[in-house]
Amino acid sequence: MKTHWTIVKKESAQMLRSQRGLLWLMAFSGLLSAFSLLLVSNTELSLLDNAQVVYMMAGTILVAGALLAAILGADAYAGEKERGTLVPLLCAPVGVNVLLTGKALGLLSAWGVMFVTATPYLWAVGASGQNLGAALFYLVLFGTPVVLGFGYLAMALSARTGTVLASLLGTVTVLMLAASPLLIGPGLRGTIIGHAMDAINPFAGALNTFDSVIIDSEPFTAQAGRLLLVAVWLGLCLLAARRSAAHPNFR
Amino acid sequence: MIRIENLHLNIEGKEILKGIELHLQSGNIYGLLGPNGAGKSTTIFVLLGLYLRSSGRISVLDHDPKDHALDIRRNIGVMPEEAGFYNWMSAPAYLGWYGCLYGQRQSDGDLRVLLQKVGLGSVSHRPIGTYSRGMKQRLALARALVPHPKLLILDEPTNGRREIHDLLLDFAARRKAGVLLCTHLLDDVDRLCNRIGIVDQGRTRLEGRLAELLVEQGGGQRYRLGLESAPDTANLPARISLLPSEGGWWRVELQPGTPGGPCALWSELWRRGWRILEIRSEASSLEELYFNITGPNSSHIHEEAL
Repeated sequence: MKTHWTIVKKESAQMLRSQRGLLWLMAFSGLLSAFSLLLVSNTELSLLDNAQVVYMMAGTILVAGALLAAILGADAYAGEKERGTLVPLLCAPVGVNVLLTGKALGLLSAWGVMFVTATPYLWAVGASGQNLGAALFYLVLFGTPVVLGFGYLAMALSARTGTVLASLLGTVTVLMLAASPLLIGPGLRGTIIGHAMDAINPFAGALNTFDSVIIDSEPFTAQAGRLLLVAVWLGLCLLAARRSAAHPNFR
Repeated sequence: MIRIENLHLNIEGKEILKGIELHLQSGNIYGLLGPNGAGKSTTIFVLLGLYLRSSGRISVLDHDPKDHALDIRRNIGVMPEEAGFYNWMSAPAYLGWYGCLYGQRQSDGDLRVLLQKVGLGSVSHRPIGTYSRGMKQRLALARALVPHPKLLILDEPTNGRREIHDLLLDFAARRKAGVLLCTHLLDDVDRLCNRIGIVDQGRTRLEGRLAELLVEQGGGQRYRLGLESAPDTANLPARISLLPSEGGWWRVELQPGTPGGPCALWSELWRRGWRILEIRSEASSLEELYFNITGPNSSHIHEEAL
């Protein structure tokens, strides 16, 4: 267990102390600031219901988290390989699963920092604060497995391909495909195809849950199916990552 | 410490290693020689359990890497060919962190001593990103030494500094540890190794004790001497033979394993009236041996001198 924390320590420090990590945090804060400003100052958007605004903000945080997971996951093996630091890591007595878990926990700590950074924005845009608790709770419950799943998927591609670009492109493509049903409008989402996509898409599952609990105030029990969906997504991505990490492309 | 017999490795259907032999005992420094792409680094990765052999027998520190890779890695320090680091860290922070991967907590004092040994004591406070390539090479050696290994593997260390050589000799002798040195620098092998293996196209072409192989090869180190005047060639010390002179140079050949090395023989020659003004080394017999094995006219026969 000690080795896990040694790796997590490095991953977290790299995220928080490196130039890249600080840039990401600044970009994320800038995105949330711009979005918040738009929501409260734009004539049309300011007419939105408070719950609707919180829902949109939660969705934005989830997208940013998934994107961060894609970047960190792609860097986990391929980035180390490109910087020449993967071989020393593999030469050390660190088991395949220990390394993968350490990387995943590092990613979770970055997601945690994002979550903490996003909380004041959620509070600020949801002026009455009545939906804040639900938004935060479901962002943790559904957002975390979705984000971690994208991280594992990126790690799987990263370990297999050995190039940051290929793994990042692969993961972002999956992320865009997962997010696209939400962008194509309610018309298609109401069809059988739309329902089928919602049923297998973890990203849609998380967003539909936000919709359900934040806007429609539905109970937790109504979310069981979607919770199972994101859990399955996480499990499948973890399996793929473990499989690839067992034989990483390190040369 | 390492025993590899008839090692074969296939990767994605391609036969990469086609019969590697390697025998390293404690206290020895083993030079693994071969051209680029010969299979030296791949052999190291098989030793560490990062590639699983297709056939053959391997024992590293009395373990099979297939089943006990982590136990093996716990006792091996590796300096890989590419010296990559986390550039935002300082050297002591990095080495401390790397030691933790081996379950060892290094004191600041230990790290300071180690960094001084590799010549980085004065720059240890700087981020690693500011280090030159040579400094990173030395830091890579320090990283390999951090876990106090029983076996040290160095893959293509290009920094042939004297203090690094002394460090390796001291490491092998004092700790009764083994050193596996993969290199193309024949001078380093000549100076440091007592056993060698020459690998070419994934196959061991020659393995054995360096001194014995050089004797079999029929020659030692050759030198050209610039002399003040013609010497007395009738009374030569043992272990030195005279070769035909060339362009005003007196050419001599020193038998391998001379006690005290060439310096002792130069002193002896001086006492016998050879007024030596200049000494130049010719191609060593190790070089000849190496190019005989790996060159286009090589015999490609595996020999072993035990």
